[in-house]
Amino acid sequence: MSANNTAKSIIEFDDQSVRHFMWASIIWGIVGMLVGLLIASQLNFHQLNFNTSFLTFGRLRPLHTNAVIFAFVGNMMFAGVYYSTQRLCKARMASDLLSKIHFWGWQMIIVSAAVTLPLGLSRGQEYAELIWPINIAVMLIWVVFAVNFFWTLHKRNEPSLYVALWFYIATIITIAMLYIVNHLSIPTSWTHSYTVFSGVQNALVQWWYGHNAVAFFLTTPILGIMYYFLPKAVERPVYSYRLSIVHFWSLVFIYIWAGPHHLLNTALPMWLQYLGMFFSLMLWAPSWGGMLNGLLTLRGAWDKLRTDPVVKFFIAAVTFYGMSTFEGPLLSIRAVNALSHYSDWTIGHVHSGAMGWNGFMAAGLFYWLAPRLYGTKLYSAAWANFHFWIGTMGILIYVGAMWVSGIMQGLMLNATNPEGTSLMYPAFLDTLTAIRPLMAARIVGGLLYFSGMVLMLVNLVLTARRGKAVNESREVALLNRGDKDTMPLKDTFINDPIAYMFGGLLLIMGWVFLPPGADIASLVCAGIFAVIAIRKFQQGAQKWSNWYDRLLVNYMPFTVLTFVAVLLGGLIQIIPTVVVNRAQNIEDRIQKVYTPLELAGRDLYVNEGCYNCHSQMIRTMLPDVLRYGDYSRLGESIYDHPFQWGSKRTGPDLARVGSRYAEDWHYKHMMDPRSTSPGSNMPPYAHLYERKFDQKSLPAKIAAMTQLGVPYPAMSGDEIKQKAIEQGIQVVGKLKEKGIAASPDTEIVALIAYLMKLGQYDTPEVEERLTDGTQGLPFPLKPGDPDKFRTTVKPPSLPVPAGQ
Amino acid sequence: MNSAEPSSKSNEPTLRGHVYDGIQEYDQKLPNWWLFTWYITMVWFVIGWLAYYQLGYGRTDHELIGEQMAKIEAVRAKELEAIDDKKLWEMSRTPEVVEAGKATFMATCVACHAADLSAHLAGVKLPGLPLNDTEWKHGGNPTQLMTIVRKGAPDITKGMASWEALGIKKITEVVAFVMSHHKEGEPVTLAADSPLKQGTAPATPSAAPVAPKS
Repeated sequence: MSANNTAKSIIEFDDQSVRHFMWASIIWGIVGMLVGLLIASQLNFHQLNFNTSFLTFGRLRPLHTNAVIFAFVGNMMFAGVYYSTQRLCKARMASDLLSKIHFWGWQMIIVSAAVTLPLGLSRGQEYAELIWPINIAVMLIWVVFAVNFFWTLHKRNEPSLYVALWFYIATIITIAMLYIVNHLSIPTSWTHSYTVFSGVQNALVQWWYGHNAVAFFLTTPILGIMYYFLPKAVERPVYSYRLSIVHFWSLVFIYIWAGPHHLLNTALPMWLQYLGMFFSLMLWAPSWGGMLNGLLTLRGAWDKLRTDPVVKFFIAAVTFYGMSTFEGPLLSIRAVNALSHYSDWTIGHVHSGAMGWNGFMAAGLFYWLAPRLYGTKLYSAAWANFHFWIGTMGILIYVGAMWVSGIMQGLMLNATNPEGTSLMYPAFLDTLTAIRPLMAARIVGGLLYFSGMVLMLVNLVLTARRGKAVNESREVALLNRGDKDTMPLKDTFINDPIAYMFGGLLLIMGWVFLPPGADIASLVCAGIFAVIAIRKFQQGAQKWSNWYDRLLVNYMPFTVLTFVAVLLGGLIQIIPTVVVNRAQNIEDRIQKVYTPLELAGRDLYVNEGCYNCHSQMIRTMLPDVLRYGDYSRLGESIYDHPFQWGSKRTGPDLARVGSRYAEDWHYKHMMDPRSTSPGSNMPPYAHLYERKFDQKSLPAKIAAMTQLGVPYPAMSGDEIKQKAIEQGIQVVGKLKEKGIAASPDTEIVALIAYLMKLGQYDTPEVEERLTDGTQGLPFPLKPGDPDKFRTTVKPPSLPVPAGQ
Repeated sequence: MNSAEPSSKSNEPTLRGHVYDGIQEYDQKLPNWWLFTWYITMVWFVIGWLAYYQLGYGRTDHELIGEQMAKIEAVRAKELEAIDDKKLWEMSRTPEVVEAGKATFMATCVACHAADLSAHLAGVKLPGLPLNDTEWKHGGNPTQLMTIVRKGAPDITKGMASWEALGIKKITEVVAFVMSHHKEGEPVTLAADSPLKQGTAPATPSAAPVAPKS
């Protein structure tokens, strides 16, 4: 493993790119948090929507989330990755050109996002709102980053890959996979597209993406940064290499499975809900592995926590990481989720992650980096300490307020009378009024945190002005070809550790998916197999360990194995749902196809970001059913591209709102929400009353829908437009009866048509249901839907009492 | 997952030989409490899945909600048995009931029907119908009124929403509050667009004389 070659060379690291990314991160971070402050204030003071189209909550909230995730944390991640990768590889980044394209390309993407989102151009899926041309740009720039990174690995002068690099590798390949699949769309114009998935499939893919954007954009790269910069800052060895291995592989493997916990108690099939819940629980320990390796690295150097602001930020960040990765599994338990979902508790949870873990890691990183990048000392450690304390206060106030708010509103919304026959708080607005003081406290917390960020900017600018940009140079021993990357593919896959892992996984999956009888057999085999694997491991520990050491000097095999680990969960959860025949998915109800006018209205609903505050998913829970009506079935969103189940109820659920109010109610409500709902915090939508809805693009949109399998009758372009206007005239007629004059081609008319449609469905005839090949047990061993097998085992009957 | 065993079995943490850019790594054993936490979550998965899918413990969400709704229907039916026009008129003369109804009305109904039941606020017509006059669209008997509160207007797109979620008790109180503005036996007229006018003739079953006017 040692390079006894004497060839040496002096290399200069590309620290210029690191500086660029650092400044970009801080500036975008401040912008993103400013938008966050504004939208938090809008929730309390609706006047702050300024009665315009482009400053409404629904359009700005995606801007806030995208800015913080992709601009703030994105640039921070790149700064950390560029700095540490070069040093861990003892090599300059492979291509200066690619580094530049990466930096400027990413900033262009951010700017275009900041323009398009307020304009109301949106794909309507959380953290995946950007329109398709920007999606392509993101993908291209990500590939540039990947090529630059892997090329640097290829040219490295350090044979073995340090744990930070493992996490970077996982990040790059997984984000590429998630991003591509979740953004598959059919464009209908330069600014609009429909996602290829619909309803439950879309929900599953979206949260596979959304949850793992948290995992692989906000967690793994930052863990990599922790593994490099934390030991650097505290000057102590990392606590445990073995823990690194175990928690890295378990984290990347298990994370992918946890997506469905965003859809608990919904129409999502039960087996997916259970997999999502149990894997989230199994994710707790692997997450804490990272926290332990961070915190315990400080052993023997705890005094640094008092003196060094960098260490303070890192250690607080890791602590917040531990806290939110405990909270996450807790919220993934179906019973807890019944209370917390759609409430501010979730908001508090993500902010303890985003502000505590990501924001503080960023602060620690930048306070550590800036003096080194400018060859000087930090301008003011006292200011950095002050930043730490107001930041911490800010987070605690914010998160505390959101906990109380979420739990309080959740309890109020779910409260029924003692007999369980009616709701205690039937008026949704009562529950909103109750949490208003907490929503105000959140603004205070956010303001404190934001002030800390501004202080950091000032501190670092003064640091930079005091010093001068320097690029570190080092003499490194050049590595020979044969000293790294020599492992053949055969050795990558054909060895004991891999064989036992895949064998065990296969048997566990057999338990989940095989028909009754075979499933138990599979579980028993899995148990026996595990025992054999442990014995084998005890005997051949050194062999296993040697194999892993070899893997670490071979970046390609390592990358391939990582990819396999992150691929499996998604494949196993998503493929069955996508290929399963549609009849199984619809549960006796099938959505009525949207008319052209309703489709135009739906696109407005998506573009205005209504899903940021309104769900369209009545859960299989008594309080939901009492409040909003019969629970939602899968078939009722089968034609929804994109699905709009939502994830937060700042306002009430809309799945069945169509049968609740008349046209004139919606008309008045959208113009001035407080005229019909006193105390509401919804923005007014006056701009919808002047603008004409987009008739021109309707034929292209319906063509795309037809292509995606929505059963539209054949219509010419003119027919489509004519139908839209005819229905508009009907709506206008209804409004006229109530003394309201409106024009049939305005956006509000289209939106009303859509809202009135919500909750309508047909009942298809029960045809060749129950005819798939689940008979003839136990052979052939055809894998199938676990929920189906359950009903075949146990025809709906009482649970078997214990000890029977 | 993959794991690596160190060669030494002693309790001393071994410091791995390789140094990465000045960073070293101990090779400590995994903390037991951490490992056991993890094992417990795995065992929970196995037990949970076995119990639900193989042993059939627990009901599906659909079964559960079905049972709960059936129970609610039964309770409602029972509560409704005890309620008729006479009872509601009585309640409308009981101050405590009217007071309770008023509270619910002011929280829930006031937006469309106004605090004085006129459905007008500062001269502007609100979405609801006036409840303080003797002209009714869906019938002026307390039970008819109650049906509208519970189920909403027959064509919901043209009128009131269903307020069944309030529960029978609150609904009767609200009806009592509204009826406290009226007298038993006062003349009731049906509105011009009343659905009760067509087809089923003077379908209003009871007490009050019906004098249709246009």
